[in-house]
Amino acid sequence: MYGWIWRHLPGNAWVRAFISLMLLLAVVYVLFQYVFPWAEPLLPFGDVTVDGDGAGAGTAGADK
Amino acid sequence: MPLGMRFTRLLVRIVSEICITVGAVLLLFVAYVLIWTGVKADSAVQGQLDRLEKRWSQSTPPPARPEASATPPAPAPAPAPARTPTADAYEDGKPFAVMRVPRFGDGWEWPVLQGVGAAVLKRGLGHYPSTARLGEEGNVAVAGHRRTYGDPFRDFPELRDGDAVLLNDGATRYTYRIVARPYRTVPSDVGVVEPVPRPLRAGAAPFDGPGRYLTLTTCDPEWGSSHRLVAWARLEAKASVTDGGTRAVHS
Repeated sequence: MYGWIWRHLPGNAWVRAFISLMLLLAVVYVLFQYVFPWAEPLLPFGDVTVDGDGAGAGTAGADK
Repeated sequence: MPLGMRFTRLLVRIVSEICITVGAVLLLFVAYVLIWTGVKADSAVQGQLDRLEKRWSQSTPPPARPEASATPPAPAPAPAPARTPTADAYEDGKPFAVMRVPRFGDGWEWPVLQGVGAAVLKRGLGHYPSTARLGEEGNVAVAGHRRTYGDPFRDFPELRDGDAVLLNDGATRYTYRIVARPYRTVPSDVGVVEPVPRPLRAGAAPFDGPGRYLTLTTCDPEWGSSHRLVAWARLEAKASVTDGGTRAVHS
């Protein structure tokens, strides 16, 4: 996979390295900005209220 | 090289690259949860505190008084500029008070927002919307993260009888006192936030009649959600912020 990407990048080794770095940063950005914020609530660290169902919502008609 | 061997090599390479990628993503996710949520919470919390300070300072221009008026040393409640009461502003998702708990450290200062949704708790502590307002008769219930998003309630188990919980809503400084060691319970124990707390374990809350109470909730264990930790406090004192010196919300 990575070999395939490397072979299909244009330019010499320096240009390819630079593009690779940019691609890597783009992937990390997408992960931190979109993927992880989506995945984080699936972990239990946000369940800090008493609510009866453990879903992180408020109690007694509280908003979510 | 025989075709079968080339195929095997390709397969092994693909599988190992996938493993490395998944491992790297998991490491990044751990860094996100441990570090990045805290970084985001820091700026969000600061933003909420700034917002409160701005709103409070706009309510009424503080009366002229010497800038160098003696301010009481910590752990006095954080006095804020003099102003008219703004306690009517319990808008959903908006901050309305600043909480300080000296037990959690001198610099421990968190905004209290209305609501306990996930988005609210990323920016500060959350006030259960159906519970009492500050200083009112009944029970003011506030939830906060134990871990992640700045770890506001990380030291929750350290709370002891007599610990102060100081709240300032811009008009009034409230001093609540913790009345018992934190009570560990299950997430469905909704009685703990009732006007007169009625936890599942009878007698865990030392209240037998109506009063002005405060309930703090967070999760237990630190990184889990199987249980909740609850601490109760009783209103001890109420003082107008004008009684103190003029000082910013921030300590």
